[in-house]
Amino acid sequence: MSLNLTINSSSPPLGALLTAEHVKSSVPVSVEEGKDTRLLVSDSIQFNDSNSICRYLARVAPALGLYGASVMEQTEVDHWLEFSARRLSERPGAMAALAALDKALSLRTFLVGHGLTLADLTVWAALKGHGLWPDPDRSLPHLDRWFSFLSSQVPFTAVGSKYLSKRAPPSRSSMDE
Amino acid sequence: MALRELASLEKYLGLKKPNKYSTQGDKKVPVLQNNNGPPLVGQVTIACHLVKEAKRAELLGDGAEGRAVVQQWLEYKVTKLDCCCKEDIKTILKDLNLYLQDKVYLAGNQFTVADTLMYYGIHPLIVDLAIQEKEQYVNVTRWFDHIQHYPGVRHHLPPVVVLRNRIYTGRLH
Repeated sequence: MSLNLTINSSSPPLGALLTAEHVKSSVPVSVEEGKDTRLLVSDSIQFNDSNSICRYLARVAPALGLYGASVMEQTEVDHWLEFSARRLSERPGAMAALAALDKALSLRTFLVGHGLTLADLTVWAALKGHGLWPDPDRSLPHLDRWFSFLSSQVPFTAVGSKYLSKRAPPSRSSMDE
Repeated sequence: MALRELASLEKYLGLKKPNKYSTQGDKKVPVLQNNNGPPLVGQVTIACHLVKEAKRAELLGDGAEGRAVVQQWLEYKVTKLDCCCKEDIKTILKDLNLYLQDKVYLAGNQFTVADTLMYYGIHPLIVDLAIQEKEQYVNVTRWFDHIQHYPGVRHHLPPVVVLRNRIYTGRLH
């Protein structure tokens, strides 16, 4: 089985890319740049939504535990997938969502259970993608710790530098003048 | 106590044959008789030796600064934590709570042998805390819960129940 992930290069789906980066050792996923984001599973099946892609990739690589270890944890992961897609994407409400996130992280190293799950990947991706965090004007220590912890790990640095730098407006080099 | 901690560290490191230790003096300082050299004395010395024996040098810290931080916490463990009296407990927890505010592990973002030994050392203090106190030292509690669930670390110690959400939200820290 070989999966093909095409990404919209002008707005890369960071959560899906991170998940692909995590599962690539157990499930071969090729990543290409294109116009629209889609994961091609077979000739007749494809997924277009970033969260659907994350869910599918986590499910085909169950050994990694990205979908949690129990029904309770799976439900928690679903909660955070929804949270990242809705509350962190709505501009006026995003600030309240950050405070809620900080509170949830006060007694946790990872959002769900005792290891990395889709919850961490998608929430981190939403914060990074929308430029919501780090925010110098706000002090949310638990969110800060969690965010910088994940940002220091290899798949996160790889995805962050590879896809976010491309999106930045091209800077004029001094050679142009 | 120190001998049991070293035995658990050996298991965590995956060392196949357990070492035989003796103790020295009233404080029961652990001693490891080395086959090819003088005996090693003291928990920190032996712990660092075991880490090297298991070829897990990354557990001693990353870079010069990381290695210094790991040694600092190992020394803290044997000098402050292992011989603290009742009056010291609150100060220790308060300081540690402040230190761990922005860190996942004692050395920052990387798990080291300092987390293992500090976890063994602080366990008797955490067991006695009330739920409200565990929330008061929220950063210590979070770190402790993470380490006790870290694969292969807990061994000889009973798990401590930690609530995953806060109850006493009105309290300021």
